[in-house]
Amino acid sequence: MISSQDAITWIAVISAIILSIYFMMESMRKPKEPEYETMEILECPKCGYTVTKEFEPGDFIGMIKGKCPKCGTPLIIKAIYEVEKKNEKNLKTPNNL
Amino acid sequence: MGLEMAETDWASLIVQIFWLLFFILLFTGANQKIQMKLWSMDIRNKLRIIYKYFNDDEDKVKNLLKNLGVASPELLFKRVLDFFTIQPVDIEPTDIIKRLDHLLRTSDKSFRRLVASYLPGIDRYERSLIETSLSIVAALYMVYKIIRHYLLLGEKENNWILLMQLELVMPQIMRIVETYHKALDAFTTGKPIGDGVGPLVAYRLIELGEVVSRRIVEETSITELRLDNRRYIIIKAEGPGSNVGHPGAVLASVIEDLKGGVDLVVTIDAALKLEGEENGEIAEGVGAAIGDPGPEKIAIERATTKYGIPLRAVIVKMGLAEAIQGMRKEIYEAGERTVEYIRRLVKELTPINSTVVIAGIGNTMGIPG
Ligand SMILES: [Zn+2]
Repeated sequence: MISSQDAITWIAVISAIILSIYFMMESMRKPKEPEYETMEILECPKCGYTVTKEFEPGDFIGMIKGKCPKCGTPLIIKAIYEVEKKNEKNLKTPNNL
Repeated sequence: MGLEMAETDWASLIVQIFWLLFFILLFTGANQKIQMKLWSMDIRNKLRIIYKYFNDDEDKVKNLLKNLGVASPELLFKRVLDFFTIQPVDIEPTDIIKRLDHLLRTSDKSFRRLVASYLPGIDRYERSLIETSLSIVAALYMVYKIIRHYLLLGEKENNWILLMQLELVMPQIMRIVETYHKALDAFTTGKPIGDGVGPLVAYRLIELGEVVSRRIVEETSITELRLDNRRYIIIKAEGPGSNVGHPGAVLASVIEDLKGGVDLVVTIDAALKLEGEENGEIAEGVGAAIGDPGPEKIAIERATTKYGIPLRAVIVKMGLAEAIQGMRKEIYEAGERTVEYIRRLVKELTPINSTVVIAGIGNTMGIPG
């Protein structure tokens, strides 16, 4: 029979190994950072029509870009900002369920 | 019975050896050597990541330059990466602001001239983006060089305290390096950054008011307008390139031109939030909200003090990442709220027909006016 003192020694050794592996993995794990995409809001100064589009390099607030589909007036970029990308993985149902 | 005995022996033997090793390490100081080795390995790995960021960003800007017709961007990089500005003497502080201002302006001009000499015929907007992108790459290179210096020094001299300090600050440095690395995207494409919230508020005020006149001095625009029955003078960096202008010096000269006939000065700027504070929080206070090395800020303080003009500040709080990367939606919305905040503040503090100077401080990239 294995004595109780022996069992305690083994448990101590094994738990020390498990703990150190756990802490090593914990320190290596990195929190996932959110990703951003840049959107711009175009507005028609005449009729107030607005549309949200993806930002293109070189665009700036106040720039004239495209025409209003309703009245043909040139559209003006009203705002440019970044929004968090929606995580597609969360939206889909996991296959392994 | 014999088998069980052997098992008991093995278990206690392992423990015995473990303790023996433990004490040998402790008394010979070898445990510190192991610890030092672990630290320097970790720092080395992080340094490798920093170098990779620097390398990627360098390639990105090089490609950008090649697309603009620069045959050998390597030569430009060689000169830009090691470009330095020496701090003025500060044990003799007489006219230090003048000297610092002179050095900063010379540094700015030389850097621009250097970039322009490799990119003749490029328009100002494009050039300003290249300049800032280059300075981001140079900043990453500087961090890489300094960390490498302390790592090698610590290893060479077996200085475990130096390595420990380095190991402890590495997470903070890595966070800043990653922030800079990610910021490059905004500067190569010219989208507004979080720091642009001051110029954004200034631009919105210009849009709202009835513009009387507009002029450009030292890459800074001065727009006079009527709004809410008051005379507003809006100062911001000239956009939409990557530019911070000289809002302090220009504000001081505007006050001088009006011989002190100003009832209120308000500066608007992005400010670094404390951990735990929300992005896009607005706060008001007193003083010059501007984060330059000194000359611009002191110009505002001196001019307002000379004529006894109330100096108020409105700040929009954000983290470093939010400040130098593309403007997040919550910062943009805070900017829109700040416009109303400023109008209310001005109505509260000044009677009808007063003259108010508003300075939107920050990088105006992607924001015109
Ligand atoms: Zn329309």
